[in-house]
This record gives sequence, structure tokens and C-alpha cells, in this order.
Amino acid sequence: MHGRPRKAPTDEEQEASSNKAVKLRDLQSQVLQFHRNKIYTKEAIEISAKLLESNPEHYTGWNYRKLAVEHLLDHLPENGVDSESIQSILDEELRLVENALKRNFKSYGAWHHRKWILSKGHSSTDRELRLLSKFQKLDSRNFHAWNYRRFISALKKIPDEEELQYTTNMIYDNFSNYSAWHNRSVLLSNLLEKGGKGYDDRGTVLGEEYEFVRNALFTDPDDQSGWFYHLWLLEQTLQREPLFLSSWPPNGSTLCLSIDGYLNSQQSWPMLHFQSKARTFPLILYFSEAVEGVSSSTVTVESEYNAGGDLIWRPLSPKKFGFSQAWLTDLKFSDKVHSLESCPVKITVAHFPGIISSSGMPCSQSCHLSFTVCVPANDQERSEVQTAHRISLEEENFKALATQSEEAKLVHSLSKLEIEKVNRPTTCKQSLETISNEIAHCQELLSSTDCKIGKLTLARLWMARNTLITYGSTDDGTEVHYEDILALYRDLMKMDPVHICYYEDEYSLALWKQATSNLVSLLKHCYQYQETSSSPSMNPSLCVRLNGLSLSRIGSMEHLLWVQMLDLSHNKLRSIEGLETLQLLSCLNLSNNKICSFTALEPLKKLKSLQVLDISNNEIGAHSIDTRRYLCSSPLNHALVSEWHFDKFASDDVTLKDHWDAYLIFDDLNLIQLEIMGNAIVDDRLRSFLFKLMPSLKWIDGESKCD
Amino acid sequence: MAKMTASKTQEEQWMVQNQVFRIYDLVYRLPPHAQSVNFELRRDDHIEYLTRSLTQLGPNFTVLDANRPWLCYWIIHSIALLGDCVDDNLESDAIDFLRRCQDPNGGYGGGPGQMPHLATTYAAINALLTLGGHKSLSSINREKLYSFLLRMKDTSGGFRMHDGGEVDVRACYTAISVASVLNILDERLTQNVGDYIISCQTYEGGISGEPGAEAHGGYTFCGLAAMVLINEVHRLDLPGLINWVVFRQGIECGFQGRTNKLVDGCYSFWQGGVAAIIQRLHLMIKEQLGLSSTFKFDCITESDDDSSDTDREKPMLEGLNNNGYNFIKGSKGMRPLFNSMALQQYILLCTQEEAGFRDKPGKRRDHYHTCYVLSGLSVCHHCNVKEAETPPLPKDVMGPYSNLLEPVHPLYNIVLDKYYEAHEFFARL
Repeated sequence: MHGRPRKAPTDEEQEASSNKAVKLRDLQSQVLQFHRNKIYTKEAIEISAKLLESNPEHYTGWNYRKLAVEHLLDHLPENGVDSESIQSILDEELRLVENALKRNFKSYGAWHHRKWILSKGHSSTDRELRLLSKFQKLDSRNFHAWNYRRFISALKKIPDEEELQYTTNMIYDNFSNYSAWHNRSVLLSNLLEKGGKGYDDRGTVLGEEYEFVRNALFTDPDDQSGWFYHLWLLEQTLQREPLFLSSWPPNGSTLCLSIDGYLNSQQSWPMLHFQSKARTFPLILYFSEAVEGVSSSTVTVESEYNAGGDLIWRPLSPKKFGFSQAWLTDLKFSDKVHSLESCPVKITVAHFPGIISSSGMPCSQSCHLSFTVCVPANDQERSEVQTAHRISLEEENFKALATQSEEAKLVHSLSKLEIEKVNRPTTCKQSLETISNEIAHCQELLSSTDCKIGKLTLARLWMARNTLITYGSTDDGTEVHYEDILALYRDLMKMDPVHICYYEDEYSLALWKQATSNLVSLLKHCYQYQETSSSPSMNPSLCVRLNGLSLSRIGSMEHLLWVQMLDLSHNKLRSIEGLETLQLLSCLNLSNNKICSFTALEPLKKLKSLQVLDISNNEIGAHSIDTRRYLCSSPLNHALVSEWHFDKFASDDVTLKDHWDAYLIFDDLNLIQLEIMGNAIVDDRLRSFLFKLMPSLKWIDGESKCD
Repeated sequence: MAKMTASKTQEEQWMVQNQVFRIYDLVYRLPPHAQSVNFELRRDDHIEYLTRSLTQLGPNFTVLDANRPWLCYWIIHSIALLGDCVDDNLESDAIDFLRRCQDPNGGYGGGPGQMPHLATTYAAINALLTLGGHKSLSSINREKLYSFLLRMKDTSGGFRMHDGGEVDVRACYTAISVASVLNILDERLTQNVGDYIISCQTYEGGISGEPGAEAHGGYTFCGLAAMVLINEVHRLDLPGLINWVVFRQGIECGFQGRTNKLVDGCYSFWQGGVAAIIQRLHLMIKEQLGLSSTFKFDCITESDDDSSDTDREKPMLEGLNNNGYNFIKGSKGMRPLFNSMALQQYILLCTQEEAGFRDKPGKRRDHYHTCYVLSGLSVCHHCNVKEAETPPLPKDVMGPYSNLLEPVHPLYNIVLDKYYEAHEFFARL
């Protein structure tokens, strides 16, 4: 079935082609000889032309031609140096290249020779463009031709607008021609950047482009080129300044530093409590996208008692090349300050330029926020009174919030603590229209065909629209479509199971956003935690519960920076990237997820306040022995960890080597309570290892240390 | 909305698609025995075809007159991949022939008497290294070659293909690859090459031949491999590159070279090779993604009992010239990012002829495609083992296990044993 029968060539054909080969060999050796001996006679040059016309790949031949041209130009008769004779020499070269390209238009040597002649200032723009049209008609994807086209348009200073029109024509001719779409995106980027006539209004230009690409998408929704361009357009439409979204401590709050120990006592707006032994508290800034350049030279902090000069800002969850959505610094009050009634702190984000998003957009609007800090006197004594008791995360201990409860009010206040939207750029109104328009068209397309990429695009468009609405300056109550987005992703998971993990992640991000981005839905996930059996002196705590939602990934944290108690149980989490942003977290429930190694818990290492952790019923140790550990720091593979306290465990039967991955995560934590049962790795040896590792730890799976 | 008719591109795509699907359909409906025959690599026939071509080619091959070292490399490398070697006479003739292509001032031309050219230099060096042995390896004039490479260096940082020739990513790769494998790479050669290659990575994620052009499989391989060899691969946007390359494997099961182009067997290596290189860049990728140091990719596990032994750090050789050696001695940290079985299916059922390989059904076999299809097949066979020398499991090889090809060094595309021999030879010089 593979080989089709080959037609045996006839004897005559064979002979003819052998003769041709002999002739070509002969031509070649002559040209090489001319090249070596620098012979540039008319006859020699003609022979080289014959060679190149039959074998345009012969780069030595092309070099010979260049030398010959230089020679001829140098040896024009004294009185005859006129443009005409120069022209005839160069014209001959252009003719030769054209013939050679007819033979093989993928010949690097031939195209390069033409560039060389052109850079001598010869030939007309028209002539070159005509030639290009001819070749681009024959093979519209030939990258030599496209490269040459860009060369010519740069050399002849052809306006980008004209070249854009050319891509339009090419696309009309064949809308699947990705080379044309690609060149279009390059040209359009230039034009938008320069912002000349007709291109100063980005929104309108992009709107027209959407309309243009739609023709291709509607003709065949399965064609790749159009969608690739569509995705590029969407990216351009969403490109905007990074915004400073929220902070902790929140704007307008009063922060009470104490060393209360254990779960922070009841919070009621605007009085927030934060326990701190070292009189430090974290200051967190959260942006709409990953940024770099957050430092004491872009963010100013004014406070009477803030000792210590320049603050060191650290990216909390560094993305590519050091960009991060969340940035952290520690504010410290010196020990000399015994008690403080109130100390106002004023912060100006982007006071000076330098904060830049990964797409290169600067954060240009400076934003102010202020809060007050107080340090009550004698807090040491109080702390000794309170002793920790075991937390029970049983369902019965959670109660939905009553509408008028203190907690509901607190959430209410906290949710309004976003940074003022007044300063936000209003330009996105047009983008919003463009995207809404695209949504309508995409729906129209999907009404007649059931295509994956169409559904995915619709979901992306809706998400993009929501982003514009939530980060925009006007909150006109436009309807958001989270339910529709979720339905689309559920559909896609069924239609295209190969990419299910991607869809699950996107689904999770949408669901997370839906649950956290407005007060009404956030309140639905807020619960009062109070142990039914505990003494009345124990204050109820506020818990955010995003449990049982099939989340596979953790989403944006802008409204959750204040959370101290979080329930993510009964999801599908494999990793917990993102949790490191919640610096106040003291109680975390991750039970019944799909976490399969201790090392997946690494973000916890950054949570200095964490005291209660439930990772029961995950898959740690359930999969065959982890041979992937060379990826992590291990005692055998030097480390991020500065020192390994081998001697601490030397006398035990529990060796550090067996549990180095647990060591890596838990050594930095100060847990009081840990639930770990229901993981294949757990045994008594591990439990005793963990007790030894964390002196603060009182209970593992309900067993206390002394038992 | 005006309905247009299908574009020419689409018609061609549908035609190829239908042809490919028809082949799969036919094969999968055959009785088991007949089916298994179709998945067999016709090793002996391929070797015969290749060996014959090395001695005698028909007159139609005159178009390759300026590429004769390439023919040597395509054929000799293919034979080596198939686990065979050429006989002594042929080997001796090939070495002599390539010696005659070597320019007195360094580098190799497309044939005796032609100017030296970077691409044919790469082909000649790779062919000589694949032949191996003292006579072959010592026929290379490294000092002159170094001065040739230096002469080809362009002010942009890139390299020129030949005196007065074009500058592109292909030239950068071939120059860096030969310098690295011959142990003559130094900072004068590497200076600013990285800048040039970075300027060719497009927003799509892949790498183009020259700045401003669209991303392309062959150039993406060249750019990525060169960046690894000069130890600057961290400067590329690797997540973007991955995103581009994984979408180049299509429903026909083979790879395309660019967005919305037809599938072509030779990209089994160009794109498959990119995927193979990426498997060893896990640490860099993790860093760029901002993943925590303990994050683990879905990785290759060989057996349950290899715990910490394999993790022990291997001795790394120092110096620019050992980047290629250290690279292959390191472990793969992640699973292949392409569908190896699907690609093997495309290769065996759609590109294999009675002897030799082709681009796609309907095209004729040639030596170029035979070389790069086989190289791609080798990448497929060995993509699931952690260490370069470990033999793959039968489940990694489509068809009978006897289909198994020799492993290659993905940065140079030289059969691994031959690479080690050359590395040892030139390390002493």
C-alpha cells in the first residue's frame, strides 16, 4: 500500500538526463576554475549564468557573480561611467536571479544575491513587488519570499499601511494563509505603536480587525490561522496597565498588634487584630497581574514609628523572571515603643514610576492607602493566660452567617476595601464593547456548529469581559456570566477529554472568581466557626469555605488577603500554588484533595502564622516511590535549606533520610495541630518524626504529644 | 455573513488528512498478523537503499551538487541509526571525499573546489564523526576550521553562511554545533550569538529564521540547540516555546513545520528534537514559570526501587565545550511533551516506503526525509527513559521491539555512541 509502482524511465530519457548531468558537471568545473583564477570575461560570466539557472543552490557560483559584478563596475571605461551601463550590469543579475528562482524558489543563494543587488541601490520598487506577487501567488507560505518582502519594504520605505493592505489581499485570496496573518500582526503592532493617522484609536482598529478575522472563522471554524490571530487580538484588547487592587492591612482599617497567641480573637471592623511576637506585621500589596519593580523607590511608606529605613519588598509568588502579583514587606515597630494609641501609616503605591507588568505596561497611576496601627500595653501578660486547645473541623462547628452578625458586617466592610476605583483608566469601555460584540458573534457561530475552539473562545471572551468589568472604573452592574462559562468548560471536558486538565484548571479559575469577587457570593462561603462543646469564653471565628467545588487550581486572592481560616477540603487540588499570598492564614483545611507529595505543600513554608493544618485523606505516598525528588532540594542534592540538622535525629531509629521531604516542608512551620491520617505515607515513625521536628506541635490526628 | 468557499490551503489539508486517515483505517481493519507486518521497520531494505545511494546516484541528483556533504551525512547517519555501518572501502572513500571538500583555509564546501559553507561544514563534520575512527576524526583541521568560523561571524552576533552569504539562525546553529563537538568553542565565537537568536523568538513562542519572520520548526530546533550549547537557554521564553511546539503535532499524528502547514515527516525530528531537548530543561522551565523549587513535573519513573541512587549528582565537566556532554549526561526531568506513539504511527504507516522514507503519502522518498524521519523515530523510541543510555521498554516502541533505533544526541543529531567516541577523541586535543 505504500510504494506506488514507479514508472521505469525509458532508455532515451535515461540517456538524456545523463547527458544533462555530464554537461552540468562540466559547467560546474569551469565556473570553479573561473572563480579560482578570477576570470571575468563575458564568456565566463555567461557560463556561470548557465550553471546557476540549472542549479540555483550553487552558492560558490553566486559568489563568483558578485565578484564579477564588482569587477565589471570597477572596470567601466573611464568616460563611460554612466548610469546606463551600471544598470545593464545589474539588470543582468536581476534577470538571472529571476530565472534561478523559477527553477527553485527556495534557494537561499538566489534570494540573497537579489538582496545584494538591491542594496546597491538598483531596481524599482514596483518591479520587485511585481516579482514578489508572482512568486507569492505560486507559494503563498514561502518564507524566503516573505523575508524578501520585509527586506524590500524596509529598504524602499514602503509604508506599513500599504503592506497591511497587501496582507488583506493575500487573506482574501486564501484566508488560511497564516504567513499573511502573521505579517499582519507584526505590521499592526508597529502601526499601533506609532499611532499615526487612522491608528491612533486602538479600540477602533482592533474592532475592525475582529470583524475582518470573523470572515475566516465563519467560513471554516476548524481552520487554525484565523483562531491564532483572534487569540492575538484578544491579548491586544486586554493589554492594559497593571492595577493595584488590594492590600493588607486594608485601607482605612485599624490594626491592633498583640501577641494573643493561637487563633486570632474576634475581629470587628475597623479593629483588626494581628498577633506578633516581634512587633512586626506583614504589609501585602496585590496587583491585577504579575508585576516587577515593587521597591522602596516605587512605593513610599510614611509612618512615625517605622524604624529601619528602606523596606525590603519580596515577591510572594514569583512568576516568570521575578514578576509577581503579590508583594510583601515587614513593618516593624521598635521595642522602645511600649504602647501606642494610634500610629497612622500612609502608603503610596507607584509614587514613582518603575512598577511594570510582564507585558511591559507601566503602573502609572499612583494609589494611596492608609491605616492605623496600635500596640496595646502589657500584652505579654494576657498571652500567658490563653492556652491553645484542639480545633475540631467537624461540620457541626460551622454556621452560616446571620445577615446582621458581626462577622457579616466584617466581611461586608472588608469586601469594600478595594482600592478606590476613581483613578482607574476608563479606556476599557471601548474594549468592553468590542468584546461584547465578539461574544455575540461567537454565540452565533456556535448556534450553527459545535466546535471546540469556538466554545473555548467564547469562554475566554466571557472571562475577558468579566475582567474588564471588575477592574474597570464603572461598576454599572453589567451582568457577569460565570454560570455560562462554567457550563462551557463542563461541555469541553466531555467533548475533548484529552485536554481535561486544562479545562479543569480554567473551570476552577472561573469558579474561584465567581465565589470571591462579589460580596453576595463571598458571604455564601463565609461561616462562623465555633465549637459547640467549647467554653463560651472562646470567641467564634470567621471561616471562608470553598469546599466541595471540584477545584483543581487556586485562583486570584485579591478579596481574600484577610482570611485566617480557610476550608478547601473535598476538592481536586493537586497543587496549592497561590496560598502563599494568604499571610494571615492560621487554620487551613486541605483534607480530601489530590495532593500526592509533601513537596507539593511548599507554598505553606511562606505562611508564618499557620498553626492548624489538615491534610488528611490526600494521596501523599500513595503513588509509587517518588523518583522525581531530584527536582527538589534534598540532602543528596545540595539545597535551598541552609542547614540540615542531621545530629538532631542521629540517635533515633527515624532517619532524616527517610523523611527528608517532610523535613523540607515542616521544618519551617510552627504548627500546633496537624491532621495527616488517610495518606499512605503515614505511620508511627513519621508521627514521632514530626513531633520531634516541630516542638510547637501538640496534636497529630488527635493524639497529643505526650501519649 | 458571506459564506466563502474553502481555501486552497484547506483543500490540500483535507486531501492529506483523508489520505492519512484512509491508511490508518485500512491498517487497523487488517487481521492481526497482516497488521503487525505494517508496523515493521523494513530495516534491511532501508540499509540497502542507503548503501547503494552512497556509491552511485542517478543524474537527477545534480541539483544537490552544492550539497554533497549533506548527502554523505543523511545517508551515513541513517545507516548508523539503523545500527549498521558502511563497509571499509566505502568508509575510506567517504573520508577521502570529505577531505577533498575541506578548504585549505578551513571549513567544508558543497563539493571539492567549492567555497567553504557553514551548513556543509556541519554536514561534513557530523558525517565524519558518525564514521568515527582515527583516520576520520583526525582528517578534520580544527585550527583552520576555527579561523573559518571566526571569519563567518557577523557584527550582529550571528553567523554568515559563507563569505558574503546570508545571516540566519541556521548559520548560528551549524557554527556553534561544530565548534562545540570539536572542542573549539570559545567566547569569541559565542559572543552575542544569544542576542541574535533571542531576537528571532516570535510572540508565537517558536523561533524564526531571521528577525521579523514567523516561527518555524527547523529554526526553532537550531535556535534552541544553539542556546543550550552556549549555556544561554534561560534567556529564551521556554513556556512560550513549549506552547508553540506542542500544538504543531496534529490530527494526522505527525508534526507540521509552521502554523497551518501540512504535516511533514522531517519535522518528526525538528519538532520532536525540540521536545526531546525540553525534557532536560525542567529546572529552567520551572524557574521561568515561577514554580516552587519543590514542584514536580509529571516525571519519568523507571522502577519503584530506584530512590536516591539516581539522584546523586553526576560529575559535570567544566567549560563551554562540555555543555553538550553535561546535557546528555543529565537526567530527563519530565515526560515527553508530544505523543510519541502517534508520531511513530505516522512514521511507520505514512512515511515508510519499501525502502527509504518520505514527507507524506503521495510524495517520493529522498535521503533528507529518510535521515530526519529516522532521527525522529529514534527520538520517539528513547523519550521515555530517564538516562540517555538506558534501553527503552517494549511499550515505548511501536511495532516489534526489533524496530528499535540507536539513540541520538539531540543537540547535534549524532548517534550517541559515535558522539561519545568523538567527545573523548577531541577532549584530548
